[in-house]
Amino acid sequence: MTDELYLENIDEFVTDQNRVVTYKWLSYTLGVHVNQAKQMLYDYVERKRKENSGAQLHVTYLVAGNLLQNGYVCHKVAVVREDKVEAMKSKLSTISSVHVYSVQKALLKDSSPLYNTDYDIVKTNLQHCSKFSAIRCAAAVPRTPPDAPRAPGPTQGPRSPRDPDAAGVVNGHGPPAARAPPQQHKGIMGMFAAKAAAKAQDTPKETKAEAREAPGVSAASSKPPTKNTIMNNFFGKAAMNKLKASSVPEQPKEEKEVVKPSVAVAEPESSPNTVAEKPGKKTEPAGIQQKDKKSKTKRVDRSDDEEERDPENVKKKRKRIKQLQSDSSDEE
Amino acid sequence: MFSEQATPMAQGLLAPPSAEPPTFPRVPVSGYSDCSQPFQLGERSFSRQYAHIYAVRLSGMRPGLECRARSRWGNDIALRKLSELQAGEKCCVVGTLFKAMQLQPSILQEISEEHNLVPQPPLPKYIQPSDELILEDELQRIKLEGAIDVQRLVTGTILAVYGTEQDDGRFLVEDHCFADLPPPLPWNGPSSNRFVLLASGLGLGSVSGEALLSTQLLVDVVTGQLGAEGEQSCAAHITRVILAGNLLSQNTQSRDTINKAKYLTKKTQAASVEAVKMLDEILLQLCTSVPVDVMPGEFDPTNYTLPQQPLHRCMLPLASAYATLRLVTNPYQANLDGVRFLGTSGQNISDIFKYSSMDNYLEILEWTLLAGHISPTAPDTLGCYPFYKSDPFILTECPHVYFCGNAPHFQSKLLQGKEGQRVLLVTVPDFSVTQTACLINLRDLTCQPITFSSFGADSED
Repeated sequence: MTDELYLENIDEFVTDQNRVVTYKWLSYTLGVHVNQAKQMLYDYVERKRKENSGAQLHVTYLVAGNLLQNGYVCHKVAVVREDKVEAMKSKLSTISSVHVYSVQKALLKDSSPLYNTDYDIVKTNLQHCSKFSAIRCAAAVPRTPPDAPRAPGPTQGPRSPRDPDAAGVVNGHGPPAARAPPQQHKGIMGMFAAKAAAKAQDTPKETKAEAREAPGVSAASSKPPTKNTIMNNFFGKAAMNKLKASSVPEQPKEEKEVVKPSVAVAEPESSPNTVAEKPGKKTEPAGIQQKDKKSKTKRVDRSDDEEERDPENVKKKRKRIKQLQSDSSDEE
Repeated sequence: MFSEQATPMAQGLLAPPSAEPPTFPRVPVSGYSDCSQPFQLGERSFSRQYAHIYAVRLSGMRPGLECRARSRWGNDIALRKLSELQAGEKCCVVGTLFKAMQLQPSILQEISEEHNLVPQPPLPKYIQPSDELILEDELQRIKLEGAIDVQRLVTGTILAVYGTEQDDGRFLVEDHCFADLPPPLPWNGPSSNRFVLLASGLGLGSVSGEALLSTQLLVDVVTGQLGAEGEQSCAAHITRVILAGNLLSQNTQSRDTINKAKYLTKKTQAASVEAVKMLDEILLQLCTSVPVDVMPGEFDPTNYTLPQQPLHRCMLPLASAYATLRLVTNPYQANLDGVRFLGTSGQNISDIFKYSSMDNYLEILEWTLLAGHISPTAPDTLGCYPFYKSDPFILTECPHVYFCGNAPHFQSKLLQGKEGQRVLLVTVPDFSVTQTACLINLRDLTCQPITFSSFGADSED
């Protein structure tokens, strides 16, 4: 019965909210593969029409196929209204696809509502716009930070929005952003690189691993005024001792780690390794922003993990649709 | 062709939801190498005169032309420089063509006060029956007449003419020849179906929004969102997308800041800013799914002179985070899966169109290949960098796919050469006008147009 939930969802979108429900919009909203969204729309239309033949429902279809035109065999892809589907199909010599494109209550005069719906939903999901697509590209990986040119001075532009995931983190980082945003991002990128490295089995850079634990520990234990001296002992035995005796909970460690790269802004020429090593220079208020960033990084991590688990968890996602329904402004 | 094998499953999605729908992996990039190094300019200096580029062009193409002349008119013909000509002697001369055109816009005439001329409006073609052809070599020039089509040829072409010098000082041409197809490249193409999508003239930032849904449909087909399963699995064989220029519309070029008063334009944003943001989003969607090569065009924010340098990465922050985005020069040359691509965004072809009687873009494209030079009219009527060491537009190897963007229609032709060259000539149509892109199959060098349409207020089919 839970599988029928999508029918109610679509019904609500179409009739109650009077939306133009395109397959892409449905796919992102319900978190399903695009092909499933197309099938869901078809199923909904069939059932609705069967139970109520006078239902106010207009459907547009996508028809694609080959067509002889000007001496060339042209592949035509067209979005057509329901009443023109057969005419389009008869014009094509071979048909390669027919599926539902959108369902809406009102008759559409032109296709701009379709475009607007898709545009809006893609815009809010730019980070993972190929998540529900039928094609996966293994080569489409974000560039790793060391690939980017190192000079922070002249090439400030390309560095800043480099990592779309980090954008949220940067935004929650208001006051220091004025100082040197690109280096900040470099620091945050360094943090991500550190996190990624730490996630792998053996961190090749053991200093980074140290840096993860040590600043958290040392920062937690040392008082803010005396930070400047302690940070110099980063690699020092004090840090190592604290590492061994790490009874510090995860939370502050992560907090400090998040804060630390933003703090390291002032070091233009330091590599990400050393960037990570100066926690004490933080000047911004500690509490709220750290929590914000921490939660944002947590969210980023979660969505990253979600992406990895996605193919096998589509069904699971469907079960959660009920919750998704209640808070619609969930993912940003 | 593209999705013929998709036909059996065409209506598969007109059904209730099934179990786990398949996802298809994109065919991996097997061999890619960028060969556009000659078109990438490092430090640029404009302090040189443009005469040097003609000198290197002539010296670069002369050996090939002399060879061609000997094979065509006999090994024993006399190859003369213009200074060695004797009246009445049949000989062959290699030189650069110059076409003296009355209607050619001349900056000197425009600013000359004694003529009091209003600058003439741009014409579609500047040819006139009174045009004359002049052959120049390193030292002298001579007027040409005879068996040579004055209207068809353009300035800057290097050719060999065979004839005699008349008593009145003109050269009577009996025959002429061009450099002909360059030597062929070995073929290492793929054995299974691999497609490359060529599109140009996306025209973002234009006032009208009709092409926007078509652009979205194009992106959706390539990224595998649109279509039934069969079509999606065929789309997974698209290994690359090349956008050949004019990503921004001509409308973004108008600069109110020049015409209007400052207080009216102070807070306004250039139209290209919004357009580039839109471009960034579209490229991001493509880059998460397929490698994309972006060439700049006439209306794009890069330098005006050929070779146009790649768009700067800072304008495309979202998309350039992905390694699949490549910003490349115009003209662009690369090896994709063992197939050599060479193409431009169309400025060279449209410039020849203006100064020649040839009307068909495919014909002009073929002619530039046979003339051995991508853009002979540069630097005369088309802006060009003052090269002095070598002319990078000379064709030294025959590409497998030779394309030009922003053509009025889609056309394609497979050209076979005498030395075993096989070239697919493609004129990529302007997408904002025709909603058509091209799909090239690398396995057998065939090309198919792909058209997108939606329904408008007037429901025409």
